[in-house]
Amino acid sequence: MQGNDHSVVRAVLAGDKEAYGTLVRAHSAAVFRVAFRIAGNEADAEEIVQEAFLRAYQRLEKFEQRSTFGTWVYRIAVNCALNRVGEPGIEAEYRHGDESDPETKTVQVATQDADPERVLLGREVSAAQEMAMQRLTATEKCAFVLRHLEERSMGEIAEVLGVAPNAAKQAVFRAVQKLRRELAPLRGNA
Amino acid sequence: MKHLSEEEQLDIYYEEGSDAAKAHLKGCRECSSEYAKFKRSLDAITPEAVPQRGPEYGDFVWQALRPQLIPYEKKAAGWRGWSWWKTATAAAACLALVTAAFIGGRYWEQRKSQPEVAGIAQPQQRVVVVVLTDHLDRTERLLVQLNHAGPGDRAENAQLQSEARELLASNRLYRVSASKEGDPALAGALDRLERVLVEVANDPQLTTADLDRVRQDMNTSGILFEVRVLLARKPNQESGPESAKGVKI
Repeated sequence: MQGNDHSVVRAVLAGDKEAYGTLVRAHSAAVFRVAFRIAGNEADAEEIVQEAFLRAYQRLEKFEQRSTFGTWVYRIAVNCALNRVGEPGIEAEYRHGDESDPETKTVQVATQDADPERVLLGREVSAAQEMAMQRLTATEKCAFVLRHLEERSMGEIAEVLGVAPNAAKQAVFRAVQKLRRELAPLRGNA
Repeated sequence: MKHLSEEEQLDIYYEEGSDAAKAHLKGCRECSSEYAKFKRSLDAITPEAVPQRGPEYGDFVWQALRPQLIPYEKKAAGWRGWSWWKTATAAAACLALVTAAFIGGRYWEQRKSQPEVAGIAQPQQRVVVVVLTDHLDRTERLLVQLNHAGPGDRAENAQLQSEARELLASNRLYRVSASKEGDPALAGALDRLERVLVEVANDPQLTTADLDRVRQDMNTSGILFEVRVLLARKPNQESGPESAKGVKI
């Protein structure tokens, strides 16, 4: 696939615009996944996918053949998502209300049984988790998503975020601390 | 005993912990309990279900993206991608280059051939020098014989006369050449020598009295001295533009 991608890139750079469609079709699902996990909603994720592939096309001459096109466009997508999540409007939208009091956030964790009450509780847990994720800074969230959900190495995360590996590790650690603190009420009732 | 920090627990969770931290975790009940809680809390953070995108999603993205893309300019694919006028220009340039190289080569060859001619002339001149030296040697011997010729030896006088006749022709040639080459010293000496040779060669009965007259009238001792000076003269010490011994004939 890698060699094939490289030949497609060469074709695109030689003037064959249509060849880029092959790359978009091959990698759009993976790009959407990471975009959704960082952005947290479909609409933003789809815009991030478009933006990532557009930026990749515009910078295609700078694409180094050492890495795969998939990895490269993935990194561009993470950066696009990071910029989007870091926008003040979006951050403010997620940070509605001050719910720092653990007492007000205490909920019960759903068990494996699928009775309606527990399904409802499960949804509440997901909502609380999502809310806690949105409280993270853009960098913390991005670092945590890449490490915890996408299972990327610290080196890769550092490269994507453009920071030193130790800084990337600290970003993940801060995110974990905040999430554990935010979700502690849920654990307390588990 | 120092227990594991939260950061160390995180490292172990993501399988990046040090061996020492892992060993401590195994041996420390308190840390094991703490780590179990830590692990549970992180395990609980499950990835949110990503909305499924079917195989047509790629097409959807591409169709939305396609109008925004400007094709890259085609790069020239070698000489086949050249237009006819570019090819013609390149061919003309090549032709001009080859022509210039040919003319330049010819000119260079001509320039180079001149020193070669001089190089050929050098050994030729060396031959002339040897021949003239030989002539002067023979002339010197003849003058010495003439200066020391005893009375009444007719056979010796006849040999002297024969030698003078042989030298006369070549001496005339050398004299004319020396005059042409602008070497007055050599030309003058050869001229005086020629007169002596003429007298000796053309005398019908060369007697001792005749030889004495020649010796006195023509100062053969002086001519002998001149000949010896000429023989001693090195090719680069000539008075004229070229060596006296290396005069062209």
